[in-house]
Amino acid sequence: MAAGETFEEFKDSFSYGSRTDLAFKFLKKLAPDDAARFFAELLTKLGETVDDGDARRLVDHAIEWQARAYAPAPGEQRPWAYDDGPFTPMPAPLADARIALLTSSGHFVAGADPAPFGAAGMTQDEAIARIGEFIRAAPDLSEIPAATPPGDLRVRHGGYDIRAAEADPDAAFPLARLRELAAEGHIGSVADPAFSFVGATSQKRVLATAPAWADRLAAAGADAVLLVPV
Amino acid sequence: MCHVSVGHVARVLEERGLPTVGVYVQAFRHVVDEMVLPRAVITPHFMGRPLGPPGDAARQRAVLEVALDLLDSATTRTVVELPYAEKTQAGSSTTGRVSGQ
Repeated sequence: MAAGETFEEFKDSFSYGSRTDLAFKFLKKLAPDDAARFFAELLTKLGETVDDGDARRLVDHAIEWQARAYAPAPGEQRPWAYDDGPFTPMPAPLADARIALLTSSGHFVAGADPAPFGAAGMTQDEAIARIGEFIRAAPDLSEIPAATPPGDLRVRHGGYDIRAAEADPDAAFPLARLRELAAEGHIGSVADPAFSFVGATSQKRVLATAPAWADRLAAAGADAVLLVPV
Repeated sequence: MCHVSVGHVARVLEERGLPTVGVYVQAFRHVVDEMVLPRAVITPHFMGRPLGPPGDAARQRAVLEVALDLLDSATTRTVVELPYAEKTQAGSSTTGRVSGQ
């Protein structure tokens, strides 16, 4: 730790601070006491793993504390809460249905960079540095031809750890898996194109633009939409 | 925030007659209920890997099958929570806890 740095400053530094790590930015959301428990229990489990080699408990620990960090505080009002929600029945059996894919993972096809804020070739590090601008801006929906091989996909998103989505797009943008399910007749077909946007964006602008996205999905012949947030 | 963005997209698509199903990681379980989303699968995965670890095609496929089958089977709001399965055999069924309204 830096000279004079408190534990609170240390755990907060993982969220867009000196130790930015989008996998562990949730530490900032934990109260200092809870963050201390996270580390203490992590070390206990690490000690157990030293002896039996079972790292599963470490993964589970991270997932469990990530969920705790994002859970609402008691009595917290959530601006996105609704009393009820729409439900549209399926128009056709799954085996006959054309399924569209839409994710907030920030994937796009190599050579078709959406160039947020006019910045062509923006790097992941630049996207992280400009996260505040993303959150105020309108989202940009990238079209991805349904036949795109995974190797032609790129991902950039300043709000989450993209390493898995970059190494294997299907971890967050399951287009290849969907094609397999269509080839085997589990679903009728995959709508062309598939879509992705950077989910760290203005909620007001998402609501304003989503009806136009519905039109684009309908134009792609979608009977239903598989949504994958990250 | 990503999960809320997709939740808003889901609500607009449903209102305009397009059925949706979403795959949400455990950390955003509560958003699914707060936004009263119509069909969702909750996966016990780390953020950024909603379908499962990179390279685990069998796990990704098992999650997708549960999600897509919800489109066929759900006649009212349905949320399914998937248990962890380290190595899911291709073709095996993955069962989860189902909760409705």
